[in-house]
Amino acid sequence: MTKQVRWLLIAMTVSAVGTVGTRAQQTAQIEPEAMAALHKMGTYLRTLKAFQVDAVTSTEQVLANGQKVQTSGVANLVARIPDRLRISVDTDRRSRLYVYDGKQFTMLARKVNYYATVPAPPTIGELADLIDQKYNVQLPLEDLFSWGGPRSKDTDIKSAMFIGPSNVGGVSCGHYAFRQEGLDWQVWIQLGDFPLPRRLVLTTLTDEARPQYVATYTWNLAPSFNDAAFTFVPPAGAGKVVLAEVD
Amino acid sequence: MPDRHTITRVTRVAIAIILAFLVSEMSMLAQRGGRGGGGRGGGTRSVSRSSVNRNVNVNRANVNRANVNRNVDRNVNRNVDFDRDIDFDRDWDIDRDIDVDFDHRYGCCYGGGWGTAAAVATTAAVTAAVVGSTVYSLPSSCSTVIVDGFAYQQCGDVWYQPQFAGSATNYVVVNAPR
Repeated sequence: MTKQVRWLLIAMTVSAVGTVGTRAQQTAQIEPEAMAALHKMGTYLRTLKAFQVDAVTSTEQVLANGQKVQTSGVANLVARIPDRLRISVDTDRRSRLYVYDGKQFTMLARKVNYYATVPAPPTIGELADLIDQKYNVQLPLEDLFSWGGPRSKDTDIKSAMFIGPSNVGGVSCGHYAFRQEGLDWQVWIQLGDFPLPRRLVLTTLTDEARPQYVATYTWNLAPSFNDAAFTFVPPAGAGKVVLAEVD
Repeated sequence: MPDRHTITRVTRVAIAIILAFLVSEMSMLAQRGGRGGGGRGGGTRSVSRSSVNRNVNVNRANVNRANVNRNVDRNVNRNVDFDRDIDFDRDWDIDRDIDVDFDHRYGCCYGGGWGTAAAVATTAAVTAAVVGSTVYSLPSSCSTVIVDGFAYQQCGDVWYQPQFAGSATNYVVVNAPR
């Protein structure tokens, strides 16, 4: 082998090793500005005493052969912190109502007209934990109650970046991207005095097809409601069923 | 200038490193492209997470939560939750339901249980259902019966108790409650 070829090989090796090193570095930066924006959003959310959110969502499912199928829907949520909640979810496949009045939690499946009621703890946060652990039911839009609280941990975040300004539904936002274990996510946070999340995109990394969930939010910070909104009345002909407990 | 033997050794090492690098790059590419297969596959393998702050298991094969054995399929017909595997090889039609988390009251079947039975039955008799098994939709001609405040479905001689398993609805075969 000639001298030139040998040195060329050595140079290629060095650049290959160098490239791998650089790629690893790019994925692990935490920009203070991005974390600050996330904290500001969370802190603001936790100051709200009552709010109403309409969400338009789409979720990808991955079939066994890798093909992805999208399901869209809407969710309407009214909350009075700490202990009143009403969420209505309507997707292509499923229609649900969740009602919580501080004492009981009820889930109604509209298409089949079944509902289940269980005793509930005194706050929305505790309710979310209970139904997840005991019944494997996840509260829709739960992040709106988690950000700025103990469930939202900075240490989970491996990378945080400010992407740039963006307009979501006519509202000027800052667009941020985060990486966590098994999940990349992006949030568009309204600029100005009301740092609300306006859009959320979650990319699940635990499947190579990387299915995405997208939600776009419209907010009403002065909702009007009365106690009847959080009182569950079974529709005509609805059958009561149990919420199966997980083992 | 290093001697000839050193250069030869260095060269061999360099070639080895480059080859290793290329192989790893190629195998990464192979993995990305590797999921092939036409046809309709055989069910849902995962769903995008919808929560940043709650790590919900989305892959049916691995439960990522504290209780590892949660939602383990103990019964052939049992797919417990939002992310259950569906029998995707159904008849396609205009109104096809992908049925990943669809609430079914009537209509046929997934998972090879009732569907299989219906395919081979030549009489109207319903194959005996095993008490404790779970199905996702009911046979036809069931009627709702309320016993002690709870709804049951009586379909001929077979009684089903509807329940929520996670956010999904399913029906457990039970002994007659009255």
